[in-house]
Amino acid sequence: MITLTRLARGRWTVPAVAGLLIAISFLADRVLNGDLAGDLAMIAAAVVAGTPIVIKAFNALVARVIGIDLLVSVAAMGAVIIGEYWEAAAVTFLFAVGHALEAATLNRTRSALAELVAVAPDVAVVLRAGDQVEIPAAQVGNGETVLVKNGAKVPVDGVVIEGTGGLDEASITGESIPVEKSAGDRVFAGTVSTGGFFQVRATGVGADTTLARIIHRVEEAQDAKAGTQLFMDRFSAWYTPAIMVLALVAGLVSGDVVLGLTLLVIGCPGALVISIPVSIVAGIGRAAKDGILIKGGEFLETSAKITVVAVDKTGTLTKGRPRLTDVTVLDPSMDRAQVLTWAARAEAGSEHPLARTILDAAAAEGSTVRGLPDHTQPIPGKGITATADGHRILIGNLALLEQYGISDTSSAARTAETLASAGQTPMIVAVDDWVVGVVAVADEVRQDAARMVADLHAAGVEKVVMLTGDARLVAEAVGSATGVDEIRAGLLPEDKLNAVLELQREGHTVAMVGDGVNDAPALATADIGVAMGAAGSAVAVETADIALMGDNLLKLPEAISLARRTVANMRQNITIAVATVALLLLGVLLGGVTMSIGMLVHEVSVLVVIINAMRLLQRTRQHAPQPTQQVPARDRTAHQNV
Amino acid sequence: MNTTKPITHTILRAEGFSCPSCVAKIEKRLGRIDGVEKVKVHFASARIEIDHDDSVSVEDLIAAVAKAGYTATKAAF
Repeated sequence: MITLTRLARGRWTVPAVAGLLIAISFLADRVLNGDLAGDLAMIAAAVVAGTPIVIKAFNALVARVIGIDLLVSVAAMGAVIIGEYWEAAAVTFLFAVGHALEAATLNRTRSALAELVAVAPDVAVVLRAGDQVEIPAAQVGNGETVLVKNGAKVPVDGVVIEGTGGLDEASITGESIPVEKSAGDRVFAGTVSTGGFFQVRATGVGADTTLARIIHRVEEAQDAKAGTQLFMDRFSAWYTPAIMVLALVAGLVSGDVVLGLTLLVIGCPGALVISIPVSIVAGIGRAAKDGILIKGGEFLETSAKITVVAVDKTGTLTKGRPRLTDVTVLDPSMDRAQVLTWAARAEAGSEHPLARTILDAAAAEGSTVRGLPDHTQPIPGKGITATADGHRILIGNLALLEQYGISDTSSAARTAETLASAGQTPMIVAVDDWVVGVVAVADEVRQDAARMVADLHAAGVEKVVMLTGDARLVAEAVGSATGVDEIRAGLLPEDKLNAVLELQREGHTVAMVGDGVNDAPALATADIGVAMGAAGSAVAVETADIALMGDNLLKLPEAISLARRTVANMRQNITIAVATVALLLLGVLLGGVTMSIGMLVHEVSVLVVIINAMRLLQRTRQHAPQPTQQVPARDRTAHQNV
Repeated sequence: MNTTKPITHTILRAEGFSCPSCVAKIEKRLGRIDGVEKVKVHFASARIEIDHDDSVSVEDLIAAVAKAGYTATKAAF
């Protein structure tokens, strides 16, 4: 009994037996010339292939669902009754084969997610009272010390407290190059040690890990229905009953039972109902594997329409870690160290982000400033003034000097402008109303920034706009280094929001990339808010429309082109499904399409749709010099063919 | 006899979902089990979410899904 059920459960058992019986029937017809034997074999084939379908149809009816199984059952039984044994056998056989193929291939479109689920760690080795204890990963307590050995999977989210080594973070960020980790670094559950030995303090366990959040996010995204899908759902809800009525009416009016039964077979909504979900599941799954989380089908459709990408300069185009780049001495009686020391003394009392840069640079050159100035006053938009050791120090821009009535500023102005045009932020230093020099800091442009902008253009984005609070000259230097199309400089956080609104009013679909802290309003207003380096932030994973898990700039163009490919794929699938149904209907009504041909075409269209969606799962990295470079070219021709 | 039973939220991940209308069968079958409050079957991600009280075990749920013709396993999260 058990072996019988197992045999019956096997995906290919039923189609194989039915196929064999059909072959026997043909053989009996030819060799024995016996109609009866042939017919009996054919009926047996129909019974073998049809019984599971009838059982499913019955179960569905009990659950008050009118499904495809019912349509096929009625059609097959009708065919047997009117003596069309071959048709009955062929329809049920093809349906069984198609179903087995569908189940096998459809699972493949979900493979990306299945792989993510599979990386979830099972066991953890924790240090309890000095002993190494192996426990289920979900039972690690927050704050416990977990050991990660060479080649082992990190079982929890946490912070390295001791040890160094490499981690393959591909499951989280999509980057397969191992990352070096040492004390103080964050690690994620599901990443794999490539060498070394760590002790990790657990900060997140089980459902509270970044991996669990990613899986959750991806599943929700795959289930969220895009506008197009809701339309198709409504369409197919009407389509099946409509076909059944049409079959009944056509059968009754023409008195042609075969016509009615054939229409029933054609009425299976197979390709139609799965055309959109398969593309979305494959597209979102593929993206997740590359460390790109897309919130759902709707966001995929919007991302495919992006015409403008607005990027925050600091932290996106630049590294967000300014360095001292220049010290110009303008007072001949002073040297570089003295100018820098004066600047540092004033900055010691400042809370400005650049103050830290100056202090660190001064310390690195041997002039550590201790203590605070007697008095510090920030002048918004201009700089600061400080009093130290009885001297008044000014550090800031020309406007600050003017405010304090310093007359001889020509050389300072010239130096400042030269530095600014080179992309550095100049700060003029004056002691007791006498200009002594100019210090300049700059934020390094990220290595991939220019390529990201070029790739965005290649992905079909019309315009890349840089938004920054920095001065125009500095912004322009970064702009020309990266190739952005438009620069909006000197913006306050609320101006960034207005810039996004303005672009939207011009009719653009705007994606905004930012750190999510002071850009929050602009990110929320943009059609697509993109968070970078989201792996470390639970909020970013859960709220960003597109979350790029790693800190790789090139993932952004990759996400947009993947969205475009997925939406194109979806459209192709809808076209295939609708065209198949239309052609079949036409074929039946004009004559020539039999039940078995109808079922064959039908099952083929379902498989074509699934296989088309599976193309999205292929790796199509434009930049990696790999053998897969052929793929994009093939993709393009395929697009044109459909 | 306690009147307020604690409700457990169980997520199963299933295999072999091949047509969106099949999922309704699973929903109905699970819904008929005593102690099951709410069932939601997601076709695209092949997930089954069930709210049930402690009179129903996860094995019962998996068995019911198997009767509808699908293999399912309990998801860790």
